[in-house]
Amino acid sequence: MSEEHLKRGASQWSVGWRRFRKNKSALIGSAIVVFFIAVAILAPYIAPYPARSYLPLYEGEAGTPPSFKHPLGVEDSGIDVFSETIHGTRNDLYVGLAASLITTLIGVALGALAGYFKGAVSDILLGVIQVFFVIPVLLLILLFARVFSFLVFKGLGLTLIVLILSFFGWSSIAFIVRGETLRLKEMEFIQAARSLGAGSFRLLFRHIVPNILSPVIVVATLNIAGFILTEVVVSFLGFGDANTSTWGLLLNEGFSLVRTDWWVSLFPGLAVVLCVLGFNLMGDGLSDALNPRLRE
Amino acid sequence: MASLIRYIIRRLLFMIPVFLGVAILTYGVGNAAGSPLNLIRVGLRNPNPAVLEALTHYYHLDQPVWQRFLYWLWDLMHGNLGVSISGRPVASQIGPWALSTLELQVLALILSIVIGIPVGVYSSKHQYSKMDYAITTTAIFGYSMPTFWLGIMLVIIFSFNLGLLPGSGAVSVSYYWWGNPLLDQIAHLILPTLVLTYVNLATIVRLVRANMLEVMRQDYILAARASGLSERTVTYRYALRNAVSPVVTIIGLGFGAALGGAPALETTFSWPGLGYAFTQAALTLDIPLVQGITIVITLMVLVAILITDLTYALLDPRVTIG
Amino acid sequence: MKEKLLEISDLRTYFFTEAGVVKALDGISLEVNKGQTVGLVGESGSGKSVTAQSVLRIVPRPGRVVDGSIKFEGEELLSKPENEMRKLRGRKMAIVFQDPTTSLNPVYTVGKQLTDILMLHRELTKADASKRALSLLERVGIQEPEKRLNAYPHELSGGMKQRVAIARALSCEPTLLFADEPTTNLDVTIQAQVLELLGQLQKELGMTMVMITHDMGIIADMTQRVTVLYAGKVMEVADTPAIFKSPRHPYTEALLKAVPSVRQTRALEVIPGNIPNLIEPPAGCVFHPRCKYAKDICTKDEPPLEKVGDGHYTACHLWRELNLEGRTG
Repeated sequence: MSEEHLKRGASQWSVGWRRFRKNKSALIGSAIVVFFIAVAILAPYIAPYPARSYLPLYEGEAGTPPSFKHPLGVEDSGIDVFSETIHGTRNDLYVGLAASLITTLIGVALGALAGYFKGAVSDILLGVIQVFFVIPVLLLILLFARVFSFLVFKGLGLTLIVLILSFFGWSSIAFIVRGETLRLKEMEFIQAARSLGAGSFRLLFRHIVPNILSPVIVVATLNIAGFILTEVVVSFLGFGDANTSTWGLLLNEGFSLVRTDWWVSLFPGLAVVLCVLGFNLMGDGLSDALNPRLRE
Repeated sequence: MASLIRYIIRRLLFMIPVFLGVAILTYGVGNAAGSPLNLIRVGLRNPNPAVLEALTHYYHLDQPVWQRFLYWLWDLMHGNLGVSISGRPVASQIGPWALSTLELQVLALILSIVIGIPVGVYSSKHQYSKMDYAITTTAIFGYSMPTFWLGIMLVIIFSFNLGLLPGSGAVSVSYYWWGNPLLDQIAHLILPTLVLTYVNLATIVRLVRANMLEVMRQDYILAARASGLSERTVTYRYALRNAVSPVVTIIGLGFGAALGGAPALETTFSWPGLGYAFTQAALTLDIPLVQGITIVITLMVLVAILITDLTYALLDPRVTIG
Repeated sequence: MKEKLLEISDLRTYFFTEAGVVKALDGISLEVNKGQTVGLVGESGSGKSVTAQSVLRIVPRPGRVVDGSIKFEGEELLSKPENEMRKLRGRKMAIVFQDPTTSLNPVYTVGKQLTDILMLHRELTKADASKRALSLLERVGIQEPEKRLNAYPHELSGGMKQRVAIARALSCEPTLLFADEPTTNLDVTIQAQVLELLGQLQKELGMTMVMITHDMGIIADMTQRVTVLYAGKVMEVADTPAIFKSPRHPYTEALLKAVPSVRQTRALEVIPGNIPNLIEPPAGCVFHPRCKYAKDICTKDEPPLEKVGDGHYTACHLWRELNLEGRTG
């Protein structure tokens, strides 16, 4: 068995990939994620109605429970839940992935700088990271969302949410990157590189950053789940864009119909749970695969 | 002991810039929403210019932003949280709201700790068993779902369909559930507490389980067994003490996150707490109220963090050095 | 007349992991007489630590003893119920672990860790236990023991921590002590001190000690008899002088060669190759892939333990033909 490893290469990634493949829940999670991505990409083609369309109203089917024609039911306003959920997939995934990408970039950059350079710069950065870590972020997000949508013309919608989430959400990655950078800085391969003439930035980006990728990937994946959940809360409370189909918006509409149209609350919620579950399982699987501490 | 005190002071000092940071952000954004004057003008239609001038003076609007901020901060220190658009002072309204929110959050927190730690330990001792899988799966669902959605589902089932429990409010208006005022309050607490506890539990169980698994592999646990200590002593006194410290920190941060999630949960249950009030205030752009609530919630979070820091230090003395 | 304190026969301890069954100990036998210091030597992964854990029956999951017999003071340990084993642990037999940083609980003071055991086995009051803990610390050579009693492990140096670990193991004056690489994680200057301390204490208490190490230098200094372990199997057993003068197993020869001077303590690196996969160990003699003398028979038949002299046994097909080099001095 040990010879096999030698043949196929024992890089952190190939070993991790092999472990990931063997992890049942990780595979389930990945399958779920792939499913949702596929739905998101194919949304315009598979959704029976255009986004935010009231067509079923004209077909006399507003407010109907799930049926063969409308598998997830119809809202009182005529919006078909199944169709909207599909459109919502696209938008929610956009928010989750975009926010995660941006926060990862910011977090890695700031965290690496904070960890590498000693002195005032590092301390201030650490302080800022800790402040962001601690504050009740959701409240500020809601506040920002409300104020900026008041100020800025409509149409920015989702991108505004992405930006706000990114502004507040980079601290977890920055914190980890800072920790890892501090740890790696003291290791011998860095000193070796330095003795060969590498300067600070080269050291930072060619040597340190590639070594911190694994925890970053794990957190970035789990963050996608978190950002989607946050978007859902923001839109549910009415602070999102009322013209963009999101799961949160559906839940918001469902809440006002909660006594009569339970399907508007149940199904979009299930979609959220499933999607977030997928990313969480995948993230956990990545964590187990790349950090083999808990297994022997 | 001395290092413990120094540690607490360090943490307190840390909280000051955090508090300031939140204050700046809150005030800054609120201010960006527009001068209170405009908002009031909108509300009052065509007020008397004398009134406008008095208000300008009151809000120090003839002075630059950063000075206004300092005035606001000064008021804050003296417990004056400003006046909401409705005319009532913010501070007087916050009290009852805060109590309602805390009632729910603290109860759920205690329950989730009391249930979560034993379950997590059990799960770690029976790794790979069917029970362990069931627990872990339930936990993963727990933190994959929006808290408020679970609330909605439970309300639909237990309140609308089965009529067993009240679905909204903290107390009833027209009649008492289950007979008397006390039972009425309890009845109203059940669903929201259940939801919040479940979601908190999910995180705690996972964390305790993961930490216990790691701690139980350590040499000092093997050494403790080698000394003849009973399995129960080894698990609960030697292992758990080590495993629980990181959980404590997470609980502190989690409390902050839970308070942040209060708006959604409280809206779902029409629970008259800070979260509900915040949502309404933000939607109507009642900036002073929004700022006041944010500051109060931030203070709550900081206190929670301080308590957890203290508990952590008591559990794991290594943290008080350096 | 020599009295047998510990008698291990054909012990098998396996670890049932997801990747397969790891045969950490695959049929080892060991005898320790009262008052002796016996060495258990081999590379990391040879099963030395697992032996000690098996005797005390604290092999961590997913491992467990699957077969064999362990007799202590004439009584079979493997059939004892758990509550009786617990009475023996710490009281009649104890282990000093390799790394004092991880073998001491970081959240309890030194004093508490000592008094816990004293109160458990000796039924002393807290006050008496504290007094005894104090005298234990003095005995292991710790300065200012009153201060150290209330200190946490992380406040002590490596050497001091190991002394504390020794104090803990000896707190109830056990009959048998397993010293599992007690000096490997310490500075070279401290190593000699700790070894000396162990030797002293052993004489004072009339203890029997099993010295687990990869270092032949320690074997030469401290043991009367030695068992060489490799990949969970016994390679050679002999009195210490005999094994140094005339080793009868290629592995033993290689171990002796890897130490430039008997006094020096360095990890072994010179034997080519690695410990084999214990899930699928090599066929025949388990050492044959790394043995420079290996012949065809070595790849097919597992060599039995044969007597080559007085109290001297080896598990090698070719011991008669080979003229192996020993060490003097």
